[in-house]
Amino acid sequence: MLDALAAERLKLTRHKATWFLVWLYPILFLAFYLIAVALAVGHVDPPARPPTAEGWIAQTAVIWKLPGQSIGRMLIAAYVAVVFAGEYGWNTWKLIIPHRSRASLVAAKFGTIVALFLVALALTAGISLLFTWIEGLARGRAVPVGVTAGALLQAHGREALAGLAPFLFTLASISLAAVLTRSMVAALVIGVVIAILEKLFVQLGPYLSPYAPGFVWSLYHGLPGYHLANLASWITEGAAHKSAFPDGRVVALGWTTSLAVAAAWTGGLAGATFAAFRRQDIN
Amino acid sequence: MSETQAPVLELANVSKTYGRRGGGVRAVRGVSLSVAAGEVYGFLGPNGAGKSTTIRMMLGLIAPTGGEVRLFGEDLRRNPAVLKRVGSLVDGGAFYPFLSGRRNLEVVARTHGGAHEPDRIDALLDQVGLAKDGGRKVKGYSTGMRQRLGVAAALLHDPDIVILDEPVNGLDVAGIQEMRDLIRGLAADHGKTVFLSSHLLHEVQQVCDRVAIISKGEVVREARIAELLSGEGGLRVEAAPLDVAEGALTARWAVERDGDAFIVRATRDEAPEVARRLVGAGANLFGLAAEQRNLEDVFLSITQPETDDA
Repeated sequence: MLDALAAERLKLTRHKATWFLVWLYPILFLAFYLIAVALAVGHVDPPARPPTAEGWIAQTAVIWKLPGQSIGRMLIAAYVAVVFAGEYGWNTWKLIIPHRSRASLVAAKFGTIVALFLVALALTAGISLLFTWIEGLARGRAVPVGVTAGALLQAHGREALAGLAPFLFTLASISLAAVLTRSMVAALVIGVVIAILEKLFVQLGPYLSPYAPGFVWSLYHGLPGYHLANLASWITEGAAHKSAFPDGRVVALGWTTSLAVAAAWTGGLAGATFAAFRRQDIN
Repeated sequence: MSETQAPVLELANVSKTYGRRGGGVRAVRGVSLSVAAGEVYGFLGPNGAGKSTTIRMMLGLIAPTGGEVRLFGEDLRRNPAVLKRVGSLVDGGAFYPFLSGRRNLEVVARTHGGAHEPDRIDALLDQVGLAKDGGRKVKGYSTGMRQRLGVAAALLHDPDIVILDEPVNGLDVAGIQEMRDLIRGLAADHGKTVFLSSHLLHEVQQVCDRVAIISKGEVVREARIAELLSGEGGLRVEAAPLDVAEGALTARWAVERDGDAFIVRATRDEAPEVARRLVGAGANLFGLAAEQRNLEDVFLSITQPETDDA
């Protein structure tokens, strides 16, 4: 398994599109902060009000919110689509001897995708932290009182945990889409559609309920959208995500329910990816 | 190679139908064959005859609709781990274009859980003539270079049987010669069993011990090369005057004109009698030899109705 992981790492770190989709975040943040520091040194913009400790910490942890946002989900979908469907495009699945290696190959892809993505986001968070401090120095501001290593770790850990469920769900769903469609473009389109519809349904579901109350209510509870939002809410706010329906009912579930539903969706889709790939005829 | 040795590869009534019942396409129909250890076995057939589909089933890339593939006595479906002992080159090898040849071999080796030491990979690159180009990205390789890299990939984990699907495709004359030597060496020097699919009949004739000819999804002939070439042969006679010579032989054997010579449908053992009759009839005998049919003649005679439907 370690060899399979090393092989995946070798591929993913040397393929331009994959490389870009992994290291895009630290590069963009670095560019943004370099401009911000340059502006601060040149005093081009008026000095802002000194941030609070909470705001200062939140600014350094903003990258962890990416997997929970639609645009972030689309970028993750693109990354997963290239990694999985690329093998069909390059015709390289047949390099492996099927059945014996197929399960470990998919597992290695999952492991490598998660590891590289987490490293990229952690690096981005580190860049945010460093340059938020440097920018403050350039503006002659001290780090706000209350910013401690413990507080930083807690905030970053919380945000990272909140982003984990949507990231894993996207990984599982797009890997399955890639294996079934064998196409990067098709898998990416499916990823974009899922990311948009899921967010839309969480927002618009209550407004649609008068047309089919029972059906929409069931979908709202059965689909992963609400549960991903609810898990993030429990982790970052310590309370349920509340969705009020026009008939007076409110959806505000406990985190264990949402965790179970999100895990079932993610595990089911990941399992389907393994099963579909194992049963696939590779021509 | 002794015929009594246990087969390394056996196909028993293997078939494959693509698509649903009714509208399905029967690509392979009840193929049975057997390859012995240390043998170089040729697999011939026109385009679209089912060669690649059969090879893919041997490698577990696609599942047979019926029948059984056995490797080293093990049912492939029940024990796919037996594929550890198989090396393969399918469709000229498929590689990551953005990686170098050396890195591609490392990826293949690591994916298979096999040896990926630089020395081993360098030795294989050297063996297939890619020592100087191992560091170049594969997207810059010619078709022939990819073929050779494919052979190196097939040998990475030191398999007992190597299955090569059209390994000389895209190679120039020198490359074909090198590949022929390489395949011969695999069997002769390293004791590997080689299963070789090729449409270059001359190459197959030169390197294979036995061949199977597949047409329209069915094996229509399986025999040793020598047997195949001599089975319906005769004696080529050069004598003058032609009509005298022909007259001396037609009473006993069927005779066909072949330019300034003729072919007598007699066995090799009958050659002395042919000579005696010619001399007895007053003909001058200039040449008498067993007719050498080549594999192409045999192949075409068996698969003549076949069209190149790719």
